[in-house]
Amino acid sequence: MNWRDYQARQRVVELGQRFVSYVDEGRGEPLVLLHGIPTWGFLWSGLLPALSLTHRVLIPDLLGYGFSDRREGFDRSIARQAEALDAWMDRLDVRDAAVVGHDIGGGIAQHLAIRFPRRVARLCLMNSVCFDAWPVELMVQLGHPGVVRRFSSRGLQRMLKLALKGKGFATAPPDGVVDGLLAPYATEVGKASLVRDAVSLNTNQTQELVPRLPHMAVPTRVLWGADDTLLPVKWGERLAWEIPGAKLVRVEHARHFLMWDQPHAVMTALYEFLGVEERPQMEGRESRDAELPSLRGPLS
Amino acid sequence: MANPRQVSEHEAQGEVERVLHEMRRTLRVTGLDVTVRTWAGFERFLVAMWEAMGPNTETRAFESAADEVRAQAVEAAESLGRLGAWEAAVLGESQRYHVRGTLELYHYLDPKMLVFTSAVKLALQDERVGVLQPLGSAERVERGAPGRMMAMEEVEERPGDARLRGLFEDIAETVGPPALPGEFRGLALWPGYLEAAWERLKPRMRTEEWARACDALLETSRRLARRLPYEVALSKERLEVLREDAELIQRVTVRSEWRLPVLVLGMATLVDDVRDLERRLPFPAEARLVPDFVVGEELR
Repeated sequence: MNWRDYQARQRVVELGQRFVSYVDEGRGEPLVLLHGIPTWGFLWSGLLPALSLTHRVLIPDLLGYGFSDRREGFDRSIARQAEALDAWMDRLDVRDAAVVGHDIGGGIAQHLAIRFPRRVARLCLMNSVCFDAWPVELMVQLGHPGVVRRFSSRGLQRMLKLALKGKGFATAPPDGVVDGLLAPYATEVGKASLVRDAVSLNTNQTQELVPRLPHMAVPTRVLWGADDTLLPVKWGERLAWEIPGAKLVRVEHARHFLMWDQPHAVMTALYEFLGVEERPQMEGRESRDAELPSLRGPLS
Repeated sequence: MANPRQVSEHEAQGEVERVLHEMRRTLRVTGLDVTVRTWAGFERFLVAMWEAMGPNTETRAFESAADEVRAQAVEAAESLGRLGAWEAAVLGESQRYHVRGTLELYHYLDPKMLVFTSAVKLALQDERVGVLQPLGSAERVERGAPGRMMAMEEVEERPGDARLRGLFEDIAETVGPPALPGEFRGLALWPGYLEAAWERLKPRMRTEEWARACDALLETSRRLARRLPYEVALSKERLEVLREDAELIQRVTVRSEWRLPVLVLGMATLVDDVRDLERRLPFPAEARLVPDFVVGEELR
């Protein structure tokens, strides 16, 4: 699935004067997948076909990201994103869901689980921002308002592509993935919005959650690309240690974008986390989506 | 004649940056069109022009004049019949939402730019523009883009995709100088829709009815520009005093004014094609209340 095909699957809902684009596919228990920065819902496009066989998969583009509202004039912090998600779930009549968050999506998922606990039936944090482990250096550089004027949209795309390819993946992702992840930020509006997103990254918004982590009462899995240099696995260990009952699953030979580096291992861990006993057969999924054969290794 | 250099809001500096910011806020839009970007290449002219036009631009009279032009364009578009591009284009729900937003934005902006450009053009031909009311006496409208107006997003004027580049060349050749209009660069974010729209719009632009409707729009715009509340202190002589290339500026302004009715009618046609879009008043303006002491100062 290329990014345009993915975008064509997106629906839209208005939340007051803002709007959220999202994918809503499959049937079953709701499963919300949250992306991080500098990506969008397309991050999950490789896993979507398989997951939607067992779940109702809901993938929003966060406010200010992807093809959700990227206008000026609102707060994009992870605390506000959690509030927006609460409203978004309301609008979609989703009472609760299993929530999977990657990168800042993981920070938002922590906020959601702690501040809106009825929304989160299970929680999976993947190479998630936490404690004072973030923002990573690249995002600190990006998070200056002056970047909007200093970089052309083309120049910024080039820089981000190099950074993602250099640090984000253990092995080269399939063609079009990096371009697709950055596609919404290729215009001047997209560039400015991404800078606003980066400006809003704030360590304090995970630090304020630290005292509450030991009181979380939601089944939690911490899934981590073991070779991530942006958010090293020690942070995953610390999260798993703080959250009661949380189990850490290291995904070997994977960096930050573990769902692209090791999709099979990630799917296996997600199925286990979600309690999927009868896992869909490869044949069925192959016939449904041509992208699935790109999953590296057989699904058992 | 080579097209003059354009200055976008993203690259503007100093006085040009200030004027473009004030214009965007006063015109109540999220971005400015190619006419303004072309004028912005002549800094001293831009500053003087805005000084002369600014007071009119923030009045209810100016807003109403643009509304009248828009209403006339909508009527003409309706009489020409539905285009069929909206139904023909294969778009997802979120994509349609974005396209609608782009259409609304330009359907609001283009008539304003037509009246504005008519006023500048007439003034540069030493015709009297404005009815000499004392400054500050006319009702003003609120500043700033409406909250639900879409961001002005566009692809590069010379995109990497050869097919899109060809489409742009065809559009630019058909609508004429000074440069490819922003609405087409904006709609190019959904190339399938732009292709479907242009394929149908282009033959229509070559009909007698289209030409007549455009002539009528131009006439209306000039009539309304002459009746703006405040005198526009701009002339060819003033350009010469400013040591600007008066001839080039006049030529650019004449061409822009000549072309804008085509764009106004084109946008009205595309809006008419989408059944449930607000056609006449897409973004109604509230009055802006100004403290008495400010008005008093202006009247003095």
